Amino acid sequence: MRLFHGQRAWVLQRLTALVVLLLLALTAATLLIGPAPSYERWHALATSAPGAVLIVIFFAALCGHAWVGVRDIVLDYIQPTALRLPLLALIAFILIAITLRVTLTMATHFTVGA
Amino acid sequence: MPAPPRAAPKFLNLAQIRFPIGAIASIGHRISGVLLLISLPFLVLALERSLRSEADYAALGTWLNSPWRALLLVVMVWAATHHLLAGVRHMLMDIGIGSRLAQARMSAWSTIVAALLIALLAAMRWLS
Amino acid sequence: MRLSIYRYNPESDAAPRMQDYDIALGGHDKKLLDVLMRIRETDDSLSFRRSCREGVCGSDAMNINGRNGLACITAVSDLKEPVVLRPLPGFPVIRDLIVDMTQFFTHYNSIKPYLINDQIPPERERLQSPEQRERLNGLYECILCACCSAFCPSYWWNPSKFVGPAGLLQAYRFITDSRDTATRERLAYLDDVYRLYRCRTIMNCTEVCPKGLSPSHAIEQIRVALLRESS
Repeated sequence: MRLFHGQRAWVLQRLTALVVLLLLALTAATLLIGPAPSYERWHALATSAPGAVLIVIFFAALCGHAWVGVRDIVLDYIQPTALRLPLLALIAFILIAITLRVTLTMATHFTVGA
Repeated sequence: MPAPPRAAPKFLNLAQIRFPIGAIASIGHRISGVLLLISLPFLVLALERSLRSEADYAALGTWLNSPWRALLLVVMVWAATHHLLAGVRHMLMDIGIGSRLAQARMSAWSTIVAALLIALLAAMRWLS
Repeated sequence: MRLSIYRYNPESDAAPRMQDYDIALGGHDKKLLDVLMRIRETDDSLSFRRSCREGVCGSDAMNINGRNGLACITAVSDLKEPVVLRPLPGFPVIRDLIVDMTQFFTHYNSIKPYLINDQIPPERERLQSPEQRERLNGLYECILCACCSAFCPSYWWNPSKFVGPAGLLQAYRFITDSRDTATRERLAYLDDVYRLYRCRTIMNCTEVCPKGLSPSHAIEQIRVALLRESS
């Protein structure tokens, strides 16, 4: 098995970019048009079932996208394998931790039917 | 062909190479990506805080009152805009839109200028 | 005309240096290669490759004022003085402007730059329709001068693993050839994080190709072909 993939990562980078782009556009359309939303409105939106799920998807996509980008930077600029693998492992750990944390946060706030 | 000596020199002084505009847009894409990655944990903290209480939500709005923080945010606005525009440019080129040299040069210039302009607008709003 | 030229002699120099030349141009000195030949009249220690002197052989590729190009088709009148000449970036220097192209040609060989067809050959020739032949335009004209690969940052960082724009242009020349039957194997070989996917489409290759070809477009087409292959 190969450690790094060619096409698969390339596709992942673009799919996650599209997800992020779509959700940003959605956010802009619902929240950023007009005056800044009140706390109540923001809280209700973000902790509703679709809102919470979309926030988790957004951060998961960001982390997936960041993974491919950082991996490319490391493969280009950091040549010694002894440095490369620990660095990649660290970044993967951080990105997974971020995704998990957002998932947990949204789960605690999650209110059915809000 | 004679084998080159073991320590053959290489010319690779980046300051002495004239980079085309596409390369400059691309290194901006990379730098902005790294900045966005660094900001990611802070974005999560901001999300958590915004949901904690009304006072915390309001506190995020006053975060900009310090000029240094505002400056940081202007840099992040540049990073986000440049990364987004450069990314859309690349995805369009992937499907064959604007991937000819003249068009690609044009879109590289547009990306760089547009991101700087939007960052300038953010600076005018938050730094004055 | 004032020039500043990269000099390195492995037998006498510990490190490369730049040497200035002031040259009075003759009436027929139209191209940069003419100027280099005139310098040789007074300093025959200056080394560079050249052969056809008309942009066909691809021998005299070098870094001219920060961009790669062929000396023989670069007009003197277009150059800002002092004209700074250096060897192709990222390639091991053998002497002065002469670089070691071994790795470059290893990559070229790796993509099997020849027609592969396991069918029984027809009596006369393998015919192509005009449309099929048309697809090879912009690909077969490559002269392997290495201007593109030596201007590609991805190739600088991973010269032993990334095939580079020149090799990938040639790879696509055979992938898209209607007479070639090894398309699937060729694509499978390139589906690799290094061989193909180091390319970030900055288009430095297309910017400097002295034949006006577009390796970045060939790479784009290979990625599309790979996408079709896997879906």
